[in-house]
Amino acid sequence: MPKLAIVFGSSWFDQHQLLQGIRSVLGTVPIAGVSTAGEILPEGPVSHTCIVMLLACPGLSCSVGLGEAVDRAPREAGQQAAFAAIRDLRGTPRVGLLLFGDGLVTTYGDVVRGIQEVLGTSALIVGGMAGDDLRFTQTFQYANDRVVSQAVVGALLGGSVKIGVGIEHGFAPISKPRRVTRARANVLYELDQQPAASVYEEYFGAELVRRIKHEGLTRQGIAYPLGVQSEASTRWLLRNVVAFSDDGSLSCSGEIAEGAWLQLMIGSRELALDAAHAAAQQAIQSIHHIACVLVFDSALRRKLLGAEHARMEIARIRQVVGQTTPLAGCYTYGEQAPFGAASIYERTATQNGAVLVVALGS
Amino acid sequence: MIYLVLFIGIAATLVVTLAFDWSPQAFGMALVLAASLVVLAVKAELSRRQAEAFRRRLDELDRLRAAYDQLDQQAKLIIRTDFELHQTQEELDRRLASLMSLHQLGRQLQVSLRPDEVFSKLDATIVTNFGFSKGLLGLCPSLDAIQWHSLVGVDSTVAEQLTAHLVESALLKHILMNPAPTTLRAAAVINPAQRKLLELLGVPSVVVAGVIPHSGPAGCLLVGRAGIGGVNPKADEELVAILANQLASAVENSALYEATWTAQRNLEQKVQQRTRELAEANVQLLRLNKAKSDFVSMVSHELRTPLAAIKGYASLLASGQFGTLGKPQGERIEKIEKQADLLTRLINNLLDIARIESGRVTMERRPIPLEDLLSGVHDLVHPQLQAKQIRYTVDRDGVTELLGDAQHLQRVFLNLLSNAIKYTPEHGAIRVALKRDGGSVLASVSDTGCGISTEDLPKLFQEFYRANDAINQQVRGTGLGLALVKRIVEAHQGQIWVRSEHGKGSTFFISLPAT
Repeated sequence: MPKLAIVFGSSWFDQHQLLQGIRSVLGTVPIAGVSTAGEILPEGPVSHTCIVMLLACPGLSCSVGLGEAVDRAPREAGQQAAFAAIRDLRGTPRVGLLLFGDGLVTTYGDVVRGIQEVLGTSALIVGGMAGDDLRFTQTFQYANDRVVSQAVVGALLGGSVKIGVGIEHGFAPISKPRRVTRARANVLYELDQQPAASVYEEYFGAELVRRIKHEGLTRQGIAYPLGVQSEASTRWLLRNVVAFSDDGSLSCSGEIAEGAWLQLMIGSRELALDAAHAAAQQAIQSIHHIACVLVFDSALRRKLLGAEHARMEIARIRQVVGQTTPLAGCYTYGEQAPFGAASIYERTATQNGAVLVVALGS
Repeated sequence: MIYLVLFIGIAATLVVTLAFDWSPQAFGMALVLAASLVVLAVKAELSRRQAEAFRRRLDELDRLRAAYDQLDQQAKLIIRTDFELHQTQEELDRRLASLMSLHQLGRQLQVSLRPDEVFSKLDATIVTNFGFSKGLLGLCPSLDAIQWHSLVGVDSTVAEQLTAHLVESALLKHILMNPAPTTLRAAAVINPAQRKLLELLGVPSVVVAGVIPHSGPAGCLLVGRAGIGGVNPKADEELVAILANQLASAVENSALYEATWTAQRNLEQKVQQRTRELAEANVQLLRLNKAKSDFVSMVSHELRTPLAAIKGYASLLASGQFGTLGKPQGERIEKIEKQADLLTRLINNLLDIARIESGRVTMERRPIPLEDLLSGVHDLVHPQLQAKQIRYTVDRDGVTELLGDAQHLQRVFLNLLSNAIKYTPEHGAIRVALKRDGGSVLASVSDTGCGISTEDLPKLFQEFYRANDAINQQVRGTGLGLALVKRIVEAHQGQIWVRSEHGKGSTFFISLPAT
């Protein structure tokens, strides 16, 4: 009997019918999952499909929790999901939480804090944020029999299973570093005491920024994320700009801390492929026997890589994790994983533009 | 400057020392003063040098900062160029994916057998590969009706609203009458009907196109894009035009296929009808043929009795029992006898044919020693061969026996040999050859006679057919011999055919099963 079904469904389907179909086959198996911006099979990326991965092993315990209204009360939503998940897993050693969230919500810092208040700050939290094939209108999360939006779903894994995590983005800084002089949550107001948008304009040109804003390319067109680097870390945390405000501020896909250094990043296909390889290596480092691999890959990377290189990226991961290892994944609007040693992100952070490889095994 | 102060200081120390007349106290004080001045001078010199080094470092830093800013400027250039390149690459990827989709769609459309099947081929993969997020393809039976067959990213309620709007606003008519695709963009559209179309679809940009084969408007295609940026509307229109043309060709082909299929089905039905009619006619013919055979058989039987009487009385008259006949009477009686014999042969042959046709005669299948069969036949024709001094040869080629009915097969060979002798001139040659041919025995009778004309060949085995040649005009025959031979051979599951060239003789072939 499978302990958990992880579902990656295309947003093209009628989501309720999709889940009903899966449920009609799986019976009472707990379900957790998200709608995607593309699905990943061992053979490579696909679109308009539904992937179901079943986890089953004697030492594994799973329970699924749901937290709603992430946009209005993120912290409470995180707590709600963690409570629901932990309730059914009393007495079993906890290994980690697979987190699935709404990719259009930017407040995951608070969600994670909410979860950590229940599970403890040392709990491993990994996962991906739902996509909708780059339409950016509505994403879906699956929790057992429910299809929801603006929600967070946590699948708590317990028992003797081990989770290996590897996350890399492969983007390199290209601009001069700027100090974040004013920011609140995910809104970036000032860089070096100047309006953030004006700095952005400096690099892209006023005309191009006007076009980007006017033509609605903000969210889907730019392959130049912002790289945020705290004093304590040498790694860059990537953030996408999701909206330009009239007051010159930029809304980003995740939290940005004041005082951090910020640089514009640039990606290349080769660096992206190397990053996938490195992430896969990190993930399997501590796993002796790999049972299966989950891949949460940024939708931004799929655009950057193009069809041929996106296929090569999955091939690179398979080279590392083994050609016969079961592998499933999806393209996401955000990747959740521990981030370096940066204390300001409480060890775990929602990242963008990254490829997250999660290896389950023993 | 520092050296001037040092010089003045030392000079002042000397003056003080001299003024105090080299007293030890004054000398000591002067010495301390001089040392302090020296230290001061050295420190001042060091400071000067440090300041100079600092100034040089500052210059260097300024240069570095300028270079850094320059690099940052270059980064800006790189980003802008990279952005443009990225967009071009994306557009190229999109075009490539679109073309691949068009190719795949083309292959699918080739096997679309009905026009409505063509309109159900638009799927999510094609729409997204084209870079769109929504798509509708419908069949238009008239200029004011749509039946949507493909809906991508649009539910049936929206599709119904779109149908009503397209028909009411006459947009559909415009789309179906206009062969080129049109892009409607929220930013540029001023027509309220067009704006409502975009609102219903929930997209800022849509390309509309008619599917118009040569036979007239057939359908309507709408594809909408969630974002409006980063794409060239002209390129979109080109792709949609190719797609619409491909669909139009497929509609034409499927209509053609449907017409061909219908025609073929009609033809098949006609063939079946004709076959039925022919089968019925055949049954009727068989019935008639049997009636004919029965009739011939009956008539022949009825004729034989009076004919026997005629022959009998003629023989009695010829024997002189009723008085001696004069020469003219004798000749007439002889003619009566000859004609009566001919008539008897004719009737016998007719009876045999009728019997074989009606299946009343069963052919025995027994091994017949070839030697016996051929020598029996040879005995019968020997006088004629002698009379015309014809060379007669037999080539058995290892064949020792035939399988069949001895009496009937003898008639076959007798008939063929009699014919050969009849048509072979004096000193000619006749050859009977036999050989094994797989599971059959192939027998042939060749002569060096006058041969048979090409026009006579196909009719040779018909009843009462007699070739129109000089010999037939001299020699009387029934015209039933070869017809009878053919019936006998076929009753043995064999075949008979002839090869002949006018003036060069003929060869009759008989193939008989050997097992």
